[in-house]
This record gives sequence, structure tokens and C-alpha cells, in this order.
Amino acid sequence: MKARRYITEYLFLLPFLGFLMVFELYPLVNMAVRSFFDANSGNFTFQNYINLFTQPHFRTAIRNSLLFASACSLVGGIGGTFVGYIVPRLPARSRNLLLSLYSLPLTLSGLVVAFAFIVLLGRNGILNLIVQRAFGLPRDVYFNVYSWLGLVVVYSFYQIPLMTLTMAAVFGNLDRSLVEAARNLGARPFQVWRYVIIPVLAPGFLAGMSIQFAGMMGAFGTVLALVGGAKNLLSVQIYYHASESTYNLPQAGALAVALITITASVLFLLNRLERSLRPGG
Amino acid sequence: MIRRLLVIFLILYIIVPLLMPIIFSFSVFWQDILPQGFTLRWYAAIVTRPRNFSALLSSLIVATGAVLLNFIICVPAAYALNRLETPAGRMLRSLSNVLPLIFPPVIIGTALVQAFSRPPLALTGSLPMVIIAHALIGFPFMFRNTLASFRTIDERTLSEAAASLGANLWQRLRYVIVPNVFPGILAGALLVFAMSIGEFEVTSMVAGFTAQTLPLQLFQQIRNDMRIASAISAFLVYVSVLCFLGMTYLGGRIHGGPEQR
Repeated sequence: MKARRYITEYLFLLPFLGFLMVFELYPLVNMAVRSFFDANSGNFTFQNYINLFTQPHFRTAIRNSLLFASACSLVGGIGGTFVGYIVPRLPARSRNLLLSLYSLPLTLSGLVVAFAFIVLLGRNGILNLIVQRAFGLPRDVYFNVYSWLGLVVVYSFYQIPLMTLTMAAVFGNLDRSLVEAARNLGARPFQVWRYVIIPVLAPGFLAGMSIQFAGMMGAFGTVLALVGGAKNLLSVQIYYHASESTYNLPQAGALAVALITITASVLFLLNRLERSLRPGG
Repeated sequence: MIRRLLVIFLILYIIVPLLMPIIFSFSVFWQDILPQGFTLRWYAAIVTRPRNFSALLSSLIVATGAVLLNFIICVPAAYALNRLETPAGRMLRSLSNVLPLIFPPVIIGTALVQAFSRPPLALTGSLPMVIIAHALIGFPFMFRNTLASFRTIDERTLSEAAASLGANLWQRLRYVIVPNVFPGILAGALLVFAMSIGEFEVTSMVAGFTAQTLPLQLFQQIRNDMRIASAISAFLVYVSVLCFLGMTYLGGRIHGGPEQR
């Protein structure tokens, strides 16, 4: 009965489901299965996964990726929350202008951002030159955009705007009267934060952090354009094993499964944290 | 006063990096703090150098193809999923939020390379493969925009009202549904177009040597010739900005005129 009622709807879904099955589900399952086979002999093996724990450069890549993604998410989270807090308090014109500007980096090619920051903060970058001239610093004192700190600064250009969009909506929805009602009912400042403000802000904030962390775990375009393979990240390792000189697709598959597992676990933990922050949770 | 300075700083934070490739692309050279001279030579290089020009064409073909492909798969699906009040329908609706988080471009690229690099499906290194890859990256955004526009106009109630007035399916589509959801779909299409034009990660994995797009050229030129790189970067910035202006305009249309509070 029910199935018949929705028959047109199911027909309309066919192109969508067919496309995802053939070009997303099948390749992903295929990749996961093939990661258990040796690249050369084609025999079943756990070696690709054992390598993740025994090969030093893979262990470093996993550690670097975790640290880098956390650092970038933290910078983006703090910066974006700060801007998102300011934006709803502005007059409509500057608010709309800021929100439009801050949605631009979303579609911007990672390579354009890399180009811009080479011009701004590279060895002869304009900002570096300005600071050197202004303070009479020697030529070898400059902000190094090709360092880990430099990469965090570059990726903030994505992360802060992304988080701003989320938090501007969250702060825009925070009902002032809710806070006042809690105060009138005799809640102490701590209680207002714990039971009113944090539960309202937490879902948006943690959802924003999830997007940031997941995005950063997979990011590699800008890194590649800035430093090539010099910074050892999980995503860069996958890229090199899937498409360049160190061609080894099953190993790339195992690395990819590791990346998916890490991202999914962190998203799961953030989701649990959000639930526990709900009142009575 | 402090607030005004803060707003100016926040605006400059986005504008200054975006201006770098644009200023660079119009200047003869830029070695010191200030750029020197004015020229259109670097833009001319995109059009006159065969490799750059064919990359430009490939990029336009790929972005158009990805938009069309997304249109075919997302619009009927969003129409259907807006109506399906079943657990499966709810699950599919949340899929578009979770999928891109757990499967970032680098994973999609690896999986595609592995699945489609040998017969009978040797697609990697061809434009169709790049189009499919971009459609995969773009579909969550197209799908969300389209679904949202079906949601906001309350398509089911509208359709039932039109049907009760004697409109058949064609008339309902032509006069009721399409005019109402079109701005939302177009906004999604612009977003997909802008993302596709600048996409580097997946493209560089599946494109091989034959299906070179503009960002792949840009990647080489950042190492070889910053001046050509500046013109390509500036072009990509223009596309992004134009798509966003279009989306802002359409956003005004969706909510019935510019927002006023």
C-alpha cells in the first residue's frame, strides 16, 4: 500500500541512487577490499595495515595529521566564534557585507589561496618586506609561510570564515530573553552558562568543529602547492601513493581507511560530547 | 570607533588575499612592496598559449558538465525526498550532510582511480571521469540547495492546491513548481560551477595527462612562472566572485526581495 503510494517518488530517486552506487559506493567498497591485497603479487595480506603502525613515515603522517587538523580547527573555532559573535551585533549593511565576504573562501580554489599567501608572506612577501623595512630587520628574519605555523595561518583563511558562518547563525538565534529569564529565576552566572547558554551554543559550535576537523584531515591541495611533499600528512601520503611516483594503490587504500576511521571517530566523539552537554544529559 | 576598525580589519582579512592575484596579474613585475607597470600580457597568455587555452576550455566543459549531471540526479531526487516521509527518506536526506565529511576529496579520488583505471571501465585520464568526480564533490551542495527550496515553498501543499483546481502534472510543473524552486536550483548550480572551476585535489588524481584543467595548469605555473599563475588565479577569483554575486541576487529572489530588518 505504502510502497505503491510512493512509486513515482522512488522512480525519481533512481538516477541519484544509481549514480551514488556506481561512482561512490562501489569505488569505496572496492578500495577497502583491495587494501587487503598485495600490490604486486595480488595475495591476501594484512601488510598494508601493519605498515601503518610499523613504518615510521606513516606513523609520523598520522600524528602530524591529527595535530595539524586539531590546531587548524582550534584556530578556526576560536577565530570563527569571535567573528560570529560580533557579526549579529552589527548594523544590517556591514553584517550582510561581512557574511557575503566570509562565504567566498568556500568555493575558492586552494591553489589561489596558496598563490595569494606566497605573494603576501613568502620569502619576498609583501607583508614580510613591510615589517622588515618598518623595524629595520635583517633580510633573514621573516614569517615563514612554508612552516607548520605558516600552513595553519594559510588554512585559517578557510577555517575562520567557515566557522563564522555557523556561529553567526548560532549567536543570531541565541535568545536574550532566555538568559534574562534564567537570571530572574535566580540562576547564578555559572548556572546560566551551564544550563542555558552552553546548551544553546554547543550543537552549532560542535557541528562547526566537526566540519572543520573533517575538512582539515582531508586537505592537501594548498599544502601541496606551498611545500610539495615536504610536510608529511596522511592526506599527502594518500595522494602520493594513489597518483605519483610511489604508486601503490592498496597501500593508499589502507591509508584512506585509516583516515576515514580517524575522522569518523572524532565526529562520533564530538557528537557524544554535544549530547552530554544537553540539560539533564 | 573600535568597532569600526574591527569591521574594517575583518573585511581586509578576506579582501587583501583575494586582491593579491588580481594586482599581480595586471602588473609588469612585482618584486618589491609595490607592483610596477600595467599590462594585460599575462591574461593574453591564457588565451594564446595552446596548453593554457585548452585547459581553460576543459575547465569550462567540465564545470558545465558537472552542473548538468548534478541537475539530472539532484532535482528529481530532491523532489522525491521532500515527499518521502519514510525512515529511508530521512536517512537519505541526512546522507548529504555526512558523506562529504567522512569521504573528503582525497578519498574519493583514490577510490575512483582504483575502480576506473582498467578495462572495462578505464575512465581515468578522460574528461568524463573529471566531470563525474566534480559531480560527486558538488552533489551535496546542489542537493541541499534544491531540497531546501522544495521545503521552503511547501511544494506538497502547493501541488495539491493546484491539482484541486484541475491542473494536471505538466501544468503543475510548468506554472507552480518550476517557477518557485528555480532560483534555489540555480543558486545550487552556481555553487557547483564555482567549486568545479577551482577544484584541484580530485582533478589532479583522476585527470592524468590528457584531461588538464585550469587549476592543474596553475599548479605547474606556481612553480614555473608566477605571472602566468597570477592571471589564472585572478580568473578563478573572478569566477568565484561572479557566482557569489549571482547567488546573493538569487537569495534575494528566494526570500522575496532583499532582506530588511
